[in-house]
Order: sequence, then C-alpha cells, then structure tokens
Amino acid sequence: MPAPEALRLRPTAGEDRDGTLATARAVVAFTRKSSRRYNRARTSVGGLFIDIYSSTLALACVLAIAGSFVFALRDEIARRDPAQGGLVDQQWQMIPADVLWILLTYLAFTGLLTLARRLGPAAVSSSEGSWWLPLPVDRRPMVLPGLIRLIAGVGLASAVMYLPFSLLTALDRTPTGHLLAAGTFGMVAVIVVGGATLLQLRAGSGRRDLLWPALVLLPLAVLPSLGPDVWPLLVALAFAVGVLAYSLPRVGIVAGSELMRGGGVSGHAGASVFLLDVNELSRALAAHPRHTASTRGAKLYVRHTVGPRAAIVRADIVAFLRLQQGVAVPLVWLGACLALVLADAALPAVVQLLVIVVAGCVTGTSMGVVARRTALVPELDLLLPVSTSVVMLSRILMPAVAMSAWMAVLTGALSVVGVGGPGLILLGAVAGLGMGAGSVRAATRPATDWTAPAAETPFGPVPRTQIAALYRGIDVTFLAMVPVLLALYTGNVYPWLIGVQAAVSAGVVLVQMAAKPTSQSGG
Amino acid sequence: MADLGAVLQATGLLVGYFRAPVCGEVSVTVHPGEVLGVVGVNGAGKSTVVRTLAGRQPALAGDVLVQGLPALPDAVMFRRQVSAIFDDDLFFPALTVREHLLLVARGHSLDAPDQRVTAELEFFGLRDRADVVPEALSSGQRRRLLLAAGLIRPSSLLILDEPEQRLDPVMRDALAQRIGDHAEAGAAVVLVTHDPRLLVQTASTCLVIDDVVEQLDPDQGAAIIAGS
Repeated sequence: MPAPEALRLRPTAGEDRDGTLATARAVVAFTRKSSRRYNRARTSVGGLFIDIYSSTLALACVLAIAGSFVFALRDEIARRDPAQGGLVDQQWQMIPADVLWILLTYLAFTGLLTLARRLGPAAVSSSEGSWWLPLPVDRRPMVLPGLIRLIAGVGLASAVMYLPFSLLTALDRTPTGHLLAAGTFGMVAVIVVGGATLLQLRAGSGRRDLLWPALVLLPLAVLPSLGPDVWPLLVALAFAVGVLAYSLPRVGIVAGSELMRGGGVSGHAGASVFLLDVNELSRALAAHPRHTASTRGAKLYVRHTVGPRAAIVRADIVAFLRLQQGVAVPLVWLGACLALVLADAALPAVVQLLVIVVAGCVTGTSMGVVARRTALVPELDLLLPVSTSVVMLSRILMPAVAMSAWMAVLTGALSVVGVGGPGLILLGAVAGLGMGAGSVRAATRPATDWTAPAAETPFGPVPRTQIAALYRGIDVTFLAMVPVLLALYTGNVYPWLIGVQAAVSAGVVLVQMAAKPTSQSGG
Repeated sequence: MADLGAVLQATGLLVGYFRAPVCGEVSVTVHPGEVLGVVGVNGAGKSTVVRTLAGRQPALAGDVLVQGLPALPDAVMFRRQVSAIFDDDLFFPALTVREHLLLVARGHSLDAPDQRVTAELEFFGLRDRADVVPEALSSGQRRRLLLAAGLIRPSSLLILDEPEQRLDPVMRDALAQRIGDHAEAGAAVVLVTHDPRLLVQTASTCLVIDDVVEQLDPDQGAAIIAGS
C-alpha cells in the first residue's frame, strides 16, 4: 500500500520502494508537531526562563565545586612524595599506576555497556510502542532520532566526565593532551553504545552475549591513556564510524518487544532519577532473575520448621538466594579497592579510604534486593505472628552475612600485605554486619513527602524529606565502617577498637530493628 | 499442512509462561468472513491464547500462520494484515483523540484520512471529545478510542480481547454490528468475550479454552459463559 504523495518526505532513491519509510517519517513528524503544539500552549515563557536559569546555575555550581575539588586533589598528588606510602607500604605497591588507570577505564566501559544494554539502547516509550510499532511502516524514523541523541549525549558526557580523571592521573599531560584523551574516551563510549545497539539486533541477547564485546573493549580501553597524540582519537573515531555505520541503518529491525522493554526500563529509570528515588532506580535497572535462580534453596525451604520466626528467616534466606544478582558487582568493587591500594599511584591514604567507603556503600546497596522488593508490599511482613523487629532482623540476616564475608575478604587481603594484622579481619567481619543493616535501612527508605516545603540548595529546590531520605542507609553504613577505616588509616588494630566496632555494628542493627515499617511508592 | 484459504491457522499451539502451559493444545483455522469466539472462565488462558495468536508472546509449542505466513509481529506484512485490540490503556499524553486516530489513518496510508477519522468519531460517540487528550476521557471513552483505532484501519485478521469491557449496551450492539460488517467484508475475526449476547450476535464458531480446548457452536459457548 504506497503512501499518498502528500505524506512523502524525500526518501532516498531506491531506499523506499513501498513508501513505508516516508510514511513512518510523516507519522513521527505528525506526532512531534502535534505534541509540541500542545505543550507550547501550556508552557509560559517565564516558566521556561526559570527552568533554564535554575538548570544553568545548578550546572555551574556542580562544575565549580567539582573543578575546585579536582584541582585541589591534583595539587595534593603533585606535592606528594611517592615514597610516602598510602595504606600499605611502598614494597607492596606493585601494580603500575598506568595499568590501574587502564583497568579502571575498562571497568567504566564495561559498566557503560551493561547499562546501555539494560536501557535499550534503542527504545520507544510505552505510548510510542502502542501507537507507532503496530503500524506497517519502517521503524527506523521512530527509533533513530532518540538513539542518535542518546549516543551523542553519552559521548559528550563521557568526555566531560573523563577530564577530571585525566587531570588527576596524568599530571604531566598538557591541556591539549587532556582534551584529546577526554575526546578519545568519549569516542570509545560512542563505540560502546553503538556496540550495545548491535547486541540488541540479536533477539534474546543476554549476559553471555556481553562477553565478546567486553573482550573487544579491552584494547579500546587502552586508547585514552596513550598520551597526548591525536592518533588514538582518530582510531577511536574510525572504529565508532564503522560501528555506527553498521548498526544505525539496521535499528529498524530491532524486535518491537525489545524496543518496548528498553523504553520501559528507560522511562522507569528516568522517572526515578527525576524523583531522586534511588531504590526505584535500583528496581528499574535490576535485571530479571534467571530462570535457574528460581529453584535455589528449594530443599531448604521445604524442610520442617518450628515456629514463625524460623519460617520467616528461612523465607528471607531463600528469597535472598533467588533474587540476589550474581557476585560480579561485589567482586568488581573488591578488586577495585585492592588494585587502588596496591598501585604505585601515590594516592593519599584518605582518597584510598574514600574509595573503600564508596565501594562498601555500593556493595551494601546491591545486597538490599529482598528488602527493596518486600518494602513494596508491607502486608507481607504481617502475614506471620511475629513482631516487626523480628521481621527486620530476619531481613538483615543475609545482607549482614554477605557484607561480613565481603569485608572479611577485603580486610583479609589487606592484612596479608601488612595492614593491621589478623585482627583486621575480625574488625572487617564485624563491620560488615552493621553494613548489612545499613543496606536494609537504605532499601526501606520511605517514599518522599512531596507536600513538605522544599529546601533551597545551589542545585535548585529539593524537598527536605528527600535530603534526609537520600542519606538514609548510607549514614549508618558509613558509621559501621568508621572503626575499620580508623584501623586502616593507623595501620593498627587496637583491642578497644574491636569493642567499639562490635558496639557500633550492634547499635546499627538495633536501630534498624527498631525502625518502623515504611511504605514506598513502588513501581 | 497449511490451509491456503485460511486467514489464521494454529496447529498444536501450546501457550503459557516459563515453559508451563496455561491451557490445552489449540488447533484452529479461521477463514475469511468467519468470527471465532473465544470463551472460558477467568484464568483459563483466553488472553494468553490470543496474545500468542497476535504474536505478542512466543508460543511454547506449535505454529501460528497468518495468511500462510508465520506470525511475526515485527514483519511489515503481518502488521498490515493484523489488527489486534487489547486493553492497553496507553496514549500519547499530548495528542488529542482525533490526532490519535489520524496517526493510525496516516500510518496505514488511508485515503481521505480526515473524513475517515470523523466517521469513526461519529460511530463511537467521540465527536464531542475529539479535541481533548485521552487523559480527559472516561475509561469507557478511552476503550472506544482503542476500538476506533483498531477498526479504522484495514485488516484481514481482527483480534479483539474482551472489547465489550467498559462499553454500554447500546455501544455493545453497535460493536457487534461493526464486527459482523468487518467479517462480511472478507476479514477473519478472533473475539475473546465474556458477553453471551455479543458472542451469539457475532460468532460463527466458538473455542472453549480449558485444560482440553474444544470447538463448539456459539450457542453452546454462550451457555458456558452464562454458567448454565
């Protein structure tokens, strides 16, 4: 059925024999034009000005704060004597700094690849999926503009975000060299998103399909570190052009269900970011548990139990085994912490401790899957005749055990290289118990009360309760880490420190046990 | 063996989730001009069957052919042939009722799309609400908009999942007439319904979804729906 002449929009010769491409372009243009007309009628110039002004101001504040922090840290690193060790003695600093930076760059690209694949990257919104995808037309005009915007945005944002990394890790590089390295990083990020689009062309592509692209990324991750020359940028550019030239024209054949899945995840994640809801963001980006995971713990679950307490503990253990994503995230953060400590990068001990804190908080957050799910249905906790504090203790159990093991491995590795001795392992394991409670506390943040008056911040108005909610969980996780961080900094595990650590962890667990059940918006 | 004259042919079709079938094996053929009613109790798997027929979810086993070709919802030819109306209450927030229908009309390259849209708005009683966004409609009116979108376009196979939901009796009768007209024009129709009257008014045959799937007369199907 050819498109009417009035709807044709300059199709390329031979490209659109049946008119489906031109019709699709006309449909997309019609939708955009109508939506714009509707939105303009409801947007005032004053409101638009305020939005642009506050966004620009917030961006300028962020850049100023980040810039001053980066340059201060750069000066500190430049002044630092390489012989002055970080957390470990110089003899143990055996990983060359350049190798560490390449590894971190590689991890960033792998993370971007996983995230891009989770979000699509080619995607349509739910309404576009319902009204555009069933039309008998070429789907390229429906998908391509959004995908190109995404790729360009990721490339630009990646380049900007690499600049501080380049400034801190290559002190001898010229400003032009930093810009070239950042440009190369941004171009490789474009390749990564283009590669994720290629994966999307294969219906049902999953985790295993990420393996080969992850290997291809290894040599690409070296490019940004190859100095001030222009050729790494040109190599990345050529590669990017090749990947995009292959993938973009084929984006019209991505399965409709896949486009809608990507759109669903992107929309959910975008709304979570807009509402500053970290738990909702975690739910949005969580991969579905594998089919094989649904039978984990089945034998344990069917065993006879005595009393409701044992029943709820068993249910929490089995839910954790089934819902918890793999060990990749904890292992990656563990590796990153150790690599940073063992590198000869002359990083101040405070920076190394900061990375350990971030790693602990992120790993802890990843352990709160069961608590995040059950927080959506508070009625579940009322099914059994046990108090809410017992339910909470049961919910804390597995994250606490997992975090305790994670911290024990981290501190065990550090004690092997001479930090703190065997006592450090005990300290880490006890700290992990408190961190597990912190992960549950973070996962059960209450929904934001958007009716409360907003607090003015340099980044614009933020609801007061949201500020508190953002720190909920992270506060006690950090608190639980303080004694072990102190031991790492001083290099000694004093007996009283173990007592303090036990008291802090127990206190954190008790605080979370006493916490009232909260309701979340859900999603 | 493919029936060359059939619009829809399902052979040994098993539908379900996570490798577990939700009902018995479905084997059915629908020819041009026929209306296949699909009935069953709640949870029997009616919607799963039609979603699989419409290519919206993969079959566990068996084949579905539309006009002799595999049901591939991403193929342009399939999308041209099959109009499927489910209860997807999803609309562009900034497009009016008229613009939604115009989008479908233009996407299917209909001649005189404006006149066709006006006619559908008239038929579904949406003319007074043509210039509002779907959010301003009642749930019954949004249902009418979805039906209008599915019926404004040409199709050789029309799939309707409980179209009577949220419609008043007058509109149900009008819809029955419309479905009949569509079939008379040469299309095949698959109609999932809980309304015995709509079933008897429209269906030429009836598929009862259960652990064993049976093909009965519409009157027998209506009796099953009515619980007698």
